[in-house]
Amino acid sequence: MNIKEYIESGILEAYVMDALDTKERANVAANIAMYPELAAEVAAIETAMQHFAEATSQDPPPYMKEHIWEAIQLETTKNEPSVAPKVVAFPPENTQKDNGWARAAMWAILAGSVVTNFMLLSSNKHSQGNLVALQQHMDSMNTQQQQLVSSIKAYQKERSMLMDTSMQTIVMHSMLQGHDMAGMVFVSKTKGDTYLALHNLPMPPKGKQYQLWVIKDGKPVDMGVIPNDMVVIEGGMEKISKPFTGGQAFAVSLEKEGGSPVPTMEQIYVLGKMSS
Amino acid sequence: MPPIVTYSEEELVSLLQQQSREAFNYLYDRYGAVLYGVINKVVYDEHISQDVLQEVFVKIWNNIAKYDASKGRIYTWMINIARNTAIDKLRSKAEIMKQKIHTGEDVVDNIGGKMKTEQATDTIGLREMVAGLKPEYQTIVNMAYFKGYTLDEISKTLDIPLGTVKTRMRHAIQLLREHFSR
Repeated sequence: MNIKEYIESGILEAYVMDALDTKERANVAANIAMYPELAAEVAAIETAMQHFAEATSQDPPPYMKEHIWEAIQLETTKNEPSVAPKVVAFPPENTQKDNGWARAAMWAILAGSVVTNFMLLSSNKHSQGNLVALQQHMDSMNTQQQQLVSSIKAYQKERSMLMDTSMQTIVMHSMLQGHDMAGMVFVSKTKGDTYLALHNLPMPPKGKQYQLWVIKDGKPVDMGVIPNDMVVIEGGMEKISKPFTGGQAFAVSLEKEGGSPVPTMEQIYVLGKMSS
Repeated sequence: MPPIVTYSEEELVSLLQQQSREAFNYLYDRYGAVLYGVINKVVYDEHISQDVLQEVFVKIWNNIAKYDASKGRIYTWMINIARNTAIDKLRSKAEIMKQKIHTGEDVVDNIGGKMKTEQATDTIGLREMVAGLKPEYQTIVNMAYFKGYTLDEISKTLDIPLGTVKTRMRHAIQLLREHFSR
């Protein structure tokens, strides 16, 4: 017998979960007795199933313990040889005729009905509560799923960029001492597409915006202003709308809102040279 | 007071064979909540669950002599008694057919049904864990574990080859094993 294949077949899991018919079960039990590898695997599955069961653990109501103990004792005495049954005489019935019993019965029915209604009402409330909880659970699952889908898309984009051998990465370093800032520019030499990612840049003050520049033959060329939401989203990556037509370095400077025609040199935050 | 002592599997078996009150206390305190949780997950009804719990303890008590250590752990044996008794209860209530049809439909994407098996009785951990399984694995774990289907029945109900059912069961439990070994 191929032990590995046998284990992989999933029959041991079914054995532990008691999901086999009698014949199969006997067969598997025989195999386990014969091969220690199978016994070890079964032990591991049993442990997993125990943990699984323990994860659903729930305390029974406190009175259950005594209740069950009584039931056990009753069962055990039932199995023992029975003693001759004791005959108990019923007290003579009250034959006096009056309609008291009818009134009592009516009251009993009424009381029963009130109790039932109350129980139905509260169980209804309980179900509604459950429904609301389920809806909330589903909502949060939907939101999580949307977040996952968008982060998967982002990863896929990054991955395809990393796989693109014509893509060049330029790391821009901080120009301000003591500020741990950085930026990355990804340029596809074949397509001219440019992407930008920023790290640790402070949120620009009101009326100001960051602007991306490419230094071409010693002259800065405007690559557009950087939307503020991009500064906020750590790890975000944006495609730059202007195509890259060549250059030797990239820089990001702080400019007035909407951008400047030339960069303010003392406001250059990060700068990085392209490797030739 | 919960027991401070824990017994090994063998010790537990011989303790139970004494049929003493002490043995019962240990058994109940140590396993009562786990068995009750398993039962509740099958029948979803606290009143029925309590009846079943009683039945399960009586069965464990009366059948301890028949327990065969070579066939598996006593813990697994007790969990399976709890599951099977709960499942039998459902079947005897003639609800099983409804349940079966229901689960058969659920298989595709009936969220409502799936959620039902994870009703309020769940701890957050389990809910996350089972939800973390792919739907096709979840269905099989739920059917086998909480509904007592044999592999053959699962294969027929879901109309998937028996081999696929087995391997999915294997994968699902592998994932659970990884989860718990963390």
